[in-house]
Amino acid sequence: MKFLRLTSITFTLFLICLIEIYLNTFTLLNFGVYIFFITLVFLGVDFFSQNNAISIFLAGLLYDSFFSTYYLGLYSAIFILVIIVANYLVSQYSKSNLIYFVIFSVCLLIYKLPIILEFSISYWSLSYLLSLVVNFIIFMSIKKIIGNNV
Amino acid sequence: MQSSQPVGIRKYIIYFLFLFLSGLLTVVDYFSNKSLSNYIPNQINLISSFQLPETFLQNELFNLSSNRADIVAENIRLKEEIIDLRLLYIENQDLKDDIESYDLLIKNISDFELTYYATGLILKNSTDEYLIAGGRDNNFEPGDLVVNENGYIVGYLGEVFNDYSILESLDSTNFNFRALDENNNSFEINSNGRELIVNSINMLTDTKAKTIYSDITFGHVSKFPFLDLETYEQKITNNRLSITVEIKEKLTFQSKLFIPKEK
Repeated sequence: MKFLRLTSITFTLFLICLIEIYLNTFTLLNFGVYIFFITLVFLGVDFFSQNNAISIFLAGLLYDSFFSTYYLGLYSAIFILVIIVANYLVSQYSKSNLIYFVIFSVCLLIYKLPIILEFSISYWSLSYLLSLVVNFIIFMSIKKIIGNNV
Repeated sequence: MQSSQPVGIRKYIIYFLFLFLSGLLTVVDYFSNKSLSNYIPNQINLISSFQLPETFLQNELFNLSSNRADIVAENIRLKEEIIDLRLLYIENQDLKDDIESYDLLIKNISDFELTYYATGLILKNSTDEYLIAGGRDNNFEPGDLVVNENGYIVGYLGEVFNDYSILESLDSTNFNFRALDENNNSFEINSNGRELIVNSINMLTDTKAKTIYSDITFGHVSKFPFLDLETYEQKITNNRLSITVEIKEKLTFQSKLFIPKEK
C-alpha cells in the first residue's frame, strides 16, 4: 500500500511537471506558468510531510533524466530545496500574504537557479518578476478556493 | 497527523538526506560522463509513447446518433470515410509543407552528398532548451548540426536519446560553437541568451569577417553558413576580433529544421 501511494504521488508530480513544460512550451509570453512550482510551494507550506521527500526526489530524477541536459540530481536538489525553504519560512513567521510573497520570491529564485547562474540579470529579471506576480496570483487564488471549500 | 511528525530542524532530516543523495548522484553522473542520467532515457522511447490516439482525431464525430439502423450504418460508413479523408488531408498538408521546406533548403545548400533529416521542435524545457524529434533511431549524435530552411545553422544537438534529442539553440544556456570565415580565421561563439558573442581565436588576416561557416576541422559534417557579420560593428583589439550579434529570430514550432548527416 505504501509502495502504491509512493508511486502514485511520484507519477502525479511528474505528470504535473510534464503539464508545466507543455504549458510553457506553447506560451509565447515573457513569463511562465509554473504549476509544478506552485504544487511544490503548497507541499512546503500547507501539506508538508516527511513522506513526500522520496516522491519529490524521484520526480526530480525523472525530470533530470528526460528533459534536462544537466547532471542527474540537480533538479531533485532544487525541488527539495524549494520545499525546505518554503516550509522553514512559513514555520518561522506568521502565515500572511507578505510572507507568502517572500516565500514565492525566494523559492522562484531557487527554482530558476540554472538560468540565473548561466545568464546575466538583464536576461531573466523581467521574466522572473512577471512570473512571480502571475504565479503568486494563481497560488493565492487556489489557496482561497481551498480555504473556502474547507 | 501533524503532531506525530518531528518538530524544528529535525523534520527536515529526510529532506536533507535526499538532498545529499541528489548531490552524490550529481557527482557520480559528472564523473561517469552522464551515463547515469542517460540510463533511463536509453531504455524508454518517450516521444513515440505519446502519440495522439486516433480516437482523439475522431472525437467530434462521436455524438452522431440515429434510431434507424440503415442511417446509423450509413453514418458509420460516411464517418469512416470522413476520418480517412481528414487523415489524408492532414498527411497531404504535412507533405506539402515538407516539400516546400525541402525546395527552399535545396536552393540554399551546396552539399548534396549529405542526407537531410527533417525534424521539428517538440517541447521547451525549463532552461529554454528545445527537445526535437529524432534521436538514436536516426543515428543522430551529440554535436550534429541543425540547419533551417535557408541552410543556416540554428544550433547543434546537445544530447541524443532514443527518439528525441536536446537542441542547443542560439539562445541556449550552454551554446558554444566554433566556426571559420572566408579567410580561414577561427572564431568561438558563445551566447548570453539575447546576443551571440563572436570572438576570434586566431587571426591569419586583418580583414573583417563577412560570413562565418561550420567546418570539418571542428568535427562538423560539412560547411554551412552560420552568421552574416558584415552589418555588425567589428572591434579589433590586440589582434583579436570581437563582434556582438543580437539574436533576432527565435525558433518556433512552425520552424522546419534539418539535420545533415553523411550517407
